[in-house]
Amino acid sequence: MPLALAFQPVLHTLRLIFIKIDAGKPYQNMKTIILNLVTISVLLTACNSAADKKSANSNQTTKETTDQKISESKGPVNEVLDGYLKLKNALTKDNDKDAAVAATELIKALESQNKKILNPEQAKVFADIEADAREHAEHIASNSGNIVHQREHFETLSQEIYELVKATGAGQKLYYTNCPMYNDNKGANWLSETKDVSNPYLGQAMLSCGSVKEELN
Amino acid sequence: MLLILLAIQFVQPARNQSAGNSEMWIASITKVPENVQAILQNSCYDCHSNNTRYPWYAAIQPGSWWMASHIKKGKEELNFDEFGNYSKRRQLSKLKAIQGSLEEQTMPLPSYLLIHRGASLSQSDQKILKLWTEDLRNKISK
Repeated sequence: MPLALAFQPVLHTLRLIFIKIDAGKPYQNMKTIILNLVTISVLLTACNSAADKKSANSNQTTKETTDQKISESKGPVNEVLDGYLKLKNALTKDNDKDAAVAATELIKALESQNKKILNPEQAKVFADIEADAREHAEHIASNSGNIVHQREHFETLSQEIYELVKATGAGQKLYYTNCPMYNDNKGANWLSETKDVSNPYLGQAMLSCGSVKEELN
Repeated sequence: MLLILLAIQFVQPARNQSAGNSEMWIASITKVPENVQAILQNSCYDCHSNNTRYPWYAAIQPGSWWMASHIKKGKEELNFDEFGNYSKRRQLSKLKAIQGSLEEQTMPLPSYLLIHRGASLSQSDQKILKLWTEDLRNKISK
């Protein structure tokens, strides 16, 4: 067995320690560190069984909870849009886990987007937003547990998806909605399939806050 | 156990070091004021550039593996040496993200500060960086 592999449990625990430290303030976590040091020694004595456990953990897949299609949109970027709207709806429900799942679907949709059906101008907009939108979606996907951070990325993502459907057409009715209160009253926008306001930035606390700025087709 | 610890000392990851700044580093697209550059150098570049200042104990395993993976991740998120290669949109996103982490004080990572006590951002450092990023955002989005 390569040496690097033999030390994986140790590295894994080290990483856990630092993730824990990073989640709080340094020095307040001495207890956690000591606990983890104990864990390391336990892990070391049971190196193999720990490795088995680890692979069992990674086999656990996230349960998909949002299966229903939101729209029957037929626009050229409908899969991207569906992923986005699913994400938006998860955020309106303050559901960080569903948001992460939807963001993963959005990444797949961006990757598998058929660029041949886009005209040169639309393809240009798609190419322009693709990498950045993907990065935002990746952050949302990897941040279940931190909905504040998910929403920060959702803000720029919304801007990008708006520019995209503005160029390609949505194939369905969409409402570009503004929430004036988000981010210390700096405000933020999002795309919705409903005219009734359902706020993804403030969620259940201020669900109906916002107003429609623009209607798209 | 001791033998394993000794043996892995000879398996060292590649170091994140290169001669000088890359051609596409951030100063290739904008003039970075000296005080800003000093702060970035002191608090950010170890993980967000192609040059890390390694402490002597960085050579001790398995710490250096952990450090290497940390630097790899940091550079994927934001690399000031590659900033000039980013699309305009990505540059703006990154500046926004910098502002976010300044506001929430999530950077530099507490685990990094544990070792590099001098790297924490003072109030005035944060203010300087906030003003600089805001100014740069305006410039790029024009």
